[in-house]
Amino acid sequence: MGVFPKHNDDMKLEVAWTVAPFILIVWLTYVSWVPLDAVWSETGEDGYHGEECEEGQSSNNQMDEIGIVTSECYHVIEITGKQWVWQFDCLDLSTDICDTGSDNVEVYGTVPLLSLKEGETYLANLRSEDVTHAPWFLGMGVKEDTLYGAQIGPSEYNWPTTLWLPIGDDVGDQIILCTEYCGDAHAIMAGKLVVHQ
Amino acid sequence: MSRKSARTLLVLSVIAMAMVVSPAVVSYPTGIQGVKDSGCNCHGATTSSEVVPSIIGLPEQYNYSESYEIVVSFEGGPSSPSNANQGGFHLWVSDGELLPSDATSQSYSPNEVSHTEAGNDQTTWTLTWVSPSSDRNVEFILHTNSVNGNADGANGGSSGDMWNKLTAKVSPPVLVLEEADPFVVLSTLILVSAILLAFTLAYVFYRTNPESFTWDYFAPWIADWLTTTDHKKIGTLYFLAGLFFLGVGGIMAMMIRIQLAVPGNDFLTQDQYNQFFTLHGTTMIFLAAMPLINGFANWMVPLQIGAPDLALPRLNAMSFWLQPVGALLIFTGVFSGSGADTGWTGYAPYVVSETAHMGTTMWVAGQIMLVASSTLTGINFLTTIAVMRAPGMGWLQMPLFTWSILIANLMLFLSIPAFGIGLIQVYLDRVIGTAFYDVSAGGDPLLWSHLFWYFGHPEVYVVIVPAFGVISEVIATSARRSIFGYRSMVYAMAGIGIVSFIVYGHHMFTSGMSPTLRFVTMLTTMLVAVPTGIKIFNWLKTMHGGSLVYRTHTLWTLGFLVTFTLGGISGMFFPSIAMDLHLHESYFVVAHFHYVLVGGTVFGFYAAIYYWFPKMSGRMLDEKLGVLHFLVGFISYNALFWPMHRLGVWGMARRHHTYFVTTEEAMGALPMEAAGWNMFISVSAFIFFFSNFIMVANMIKTVIRGEKAPPDPWGGWSFEWMTTSPPPTPSFDPHNLPVLTDANEHIANEPGTLSKLFNRLMVSEEDTEEVTH
Repeated sequence: MGVFPKHNDDMKLEVAWTVAPFILIVWLTYVSWVPLDAVWSETGEDGYHGEECEEGQSSNNQMDEIGIVTSECYHVIEITGKQWVWQFDCLDLSTDICDTGSDNVEVYGTVPLLSLKEGETYLANLRSEDVTHAPWFLGMGVKEDTLYGAQIGPSEYNWPTTLWLPIGDDVGDQIILCTEYCGDAHAIMAGKLVVHQ
Repeated sequence: MSRKSARTLLVLSVIAMAMVVSPAVVSYPTGIQGVKDSGCNCHGATTSSEVVPSIIGLPEQYNYSESYEIVVSFEGGPSSPSNANQGGFHLWVSDGELLPSDATSQSYSPNEVSHTEAGNDQTTWTLTWVSPSSDRNVEFILHTNSVNGNADGANGGSSGDMWNKLTAKVSPPVLVLEEADPFVVLSTLILVSAILLAFTLAYVFYRTNPESFTWDYFAPWIADWLTTTDHKKIGTLYFLAGLFFLGVGGIMAMMIRIQLAVPGNDFLTQDQYNQFFTLHGTTMIFLAAMPLINGFANWMVPLQIGAPDLALPRLNAMSFWLQPVGALLIFTGVFSGSGADTGWTGYAPYVVSETAHMGTTMWVAGQIMLVASSTLTGINFLTTIAVMRAPGMGWLQMPLFTWSILIANLMLFLSIPAFGIGLIQVYLDRVIGTAFYDVSAGGDPLLWSHLFWYFGHPEVYVVIVPAFGVISEVIATSARRSIFGYRSMVYAMAGIGIVSFIVYGHHMFTSGMSPTLRFVTMLTTMLVAVPTGIKIFNWLKTMHGGSLVYRTHTLWTLGFLVTFTLGGISGMFFPSIAMDLHLHESYFVVAHFHYVLVGGTVFGFYAAIYYWFPKMSGRMLDEKLGVLHFLVGFISYNALFWPMHRLGVWGMARRHHTYFVTTEEAMGALPMEAAGWNMFISVSAFIFFFSNFIMVANMIKTVIRGEKAPPDPWGGWSFEWMTTSPPPTPSFDPHNLPVLTDANEHIANEPGTLSKLFNRLMVSEEDTEEVTH
């Protein structure tokens, strides 16, 4: 014979600590929501970065007080991941706006280099030639997966993923690491971003 | 009858053998070693001491990244200047780079050089060796071939040719110890633990009854354990298996920590490191946490609901015995030197790509067996809890641990099919060449991620919710009062169970999944904080005003409250997507999930061990050792995982076999002090690892000569405390089941909250009072 013990509860208290955290997370959600429109900005009128730049046109980046960058237009570049190296492609941008090369980073050795201009905004199309990779721009705190199959096949996923890279005056030279596990040399699949004037 | 069962056994063992052997054939091609071990493709059948190879120009100790000119030559054998051809060589070096100096030699790889056709007619060749830039013990292996050049002769071809082999060693500037193969270390440690486990069991067997320490007594004893369907014995088996694999996973974690203790370390190669973190994850989740939970669920659920056994005892035995076989399959790849290297998430398309190790196939096969095991366990517990509760025990009179097991199994039962389907697809892709994840054939690169996380997120709640149950039991008993808000505890757990199915997208915020879906899962993930918060507040309120008894299980529970809350708070950073874009796949994530899985699940189950061990073994654990275990474990645990948050924010990525610190300012990379923190973490990790042996020693000591435990040592209310310690078999007499009465029974006849509200609206209380006056 067992006895289920007497209830020990207080409806008011329990409702209070259900409602209070709920309000807290609504507020947190609201706070987290603010930068999202900028992070996943659309292209064109409704977005933060306008249409693609004409040749010779500049983005003229403006940063507001909470750090969101708006620009008049953007440049398109392409970042391709393959086992186990990054490839940066400036497409048809002039070397003044975007340049690639290679550089020697202390410890990582020779890594591919991407040189972008301060005050410009770039839209990186992310592609992969084999498995999923993800460039992590350490100093900018952004990353996004590169999906294989970005240009083949009929699936809705077969579009390249994209990443906005607005280069404000607070962005410095930085390491680019791979942050989606891609096999043997995943850890040393690095690159370097250089910001030029 | 016995012949029939022998035949069944034979058939089963043949099937098991076939399952183990057949896919191994597929993984064979990687196993062939190069010329350095087997000898060269030299002419001549065997080595000959007549040929004397030599290497001139090697230093005793090399300088970093320096070029050395070395001369390779041989003397003796049939070679002579008058022959059409004189000889050849092959040189292999373990480190650094070999370069041919002229057209007489050619490079196969940075490690291998051989002669060319132009170099066929000499006995001396000149090469360049560039020494490595770090400290390595470098080994050279030279094969030389002395040739008589009788290609056109009567006994044409290579007859009469001779070859020999020479090895040479060069030391680095700073002497280093010979490297041990980490796999040899791992398998040695596993073997040693297994032998120790066997000896311990034998010793326990001996000490419990020294007279019966003979094979005649031992054989039925072991047969009983192998064929048992008793929920308590299967629970013990689960428990032992879980602890064993907790140790194995721990050993792997220690190897990972040795590797990461200093930047740019080469204790493990990238290849080995990738296998270690994959198997660490798989082992800890599927082979350690789940069996530990199932161990306690098996033991306690029938006892708590007053049932003689589980509803389907044989199915229960099958659930357990699928696990060791699954574990064997998961580890098979390691024994062949190419275990799964996909991460425990096994993302497609890497998992089906050619670069993934062959052992991945076995790893997938093993997990399919674990899926089967979990499904059967789910059926069993849901049935048992639904139909076998003691008379008088309604749904809302079940102990909270039973509730937590019910909800965990419900979640598991609904989510694991997705994982099973994904695994079978991957298995078919890898074995018979289907194209579910072959993107170039139209496969979807995100399908696996969806299937995996649809299961994976509920799975981590499956692992943590039973710990909630344990904590609720322990805290109420230790505070010597009933749990605060029993019903809201149940609703909160159910809420977590429901929410868990719609939050999984937060693992895929950077995956290229549709932004709408990402946004939705951001909202739902935030919601998880509400029911979890309710539980934390209820636990605190239970202690408030109670009279807490500080036993070891109470200490672990308090530790749980601290670490789990910290883990929950660090978890609130991830649903904020802009934050997650930085933190995803960094050490911040590693810190977070170790805070909830070790600080939550493992601490919860340590509390369970100290709480229920007297019931399970009939002996009281040593409190002093328990408190020592808690103090050392809790402090080293926090020292181990807390600094990882900082490393993650700084930019240390997870699943990287090495990391680098840099003095280059503003590179956004790890600063110099990250190296110090990593060393600190590694040292703490070893302390935490070894602190757990205090508990193991405590358990062994207790089983052999512990104080006898009373039926209810802590003052709990539920049925398990009403039987003897250890309980009889069957646990309760099926014809005389215990009956539960509810101390709140009289409340049932009073008006509920809603009718009270209506009453208040109709006639105010003052009015009634006035009438009575």
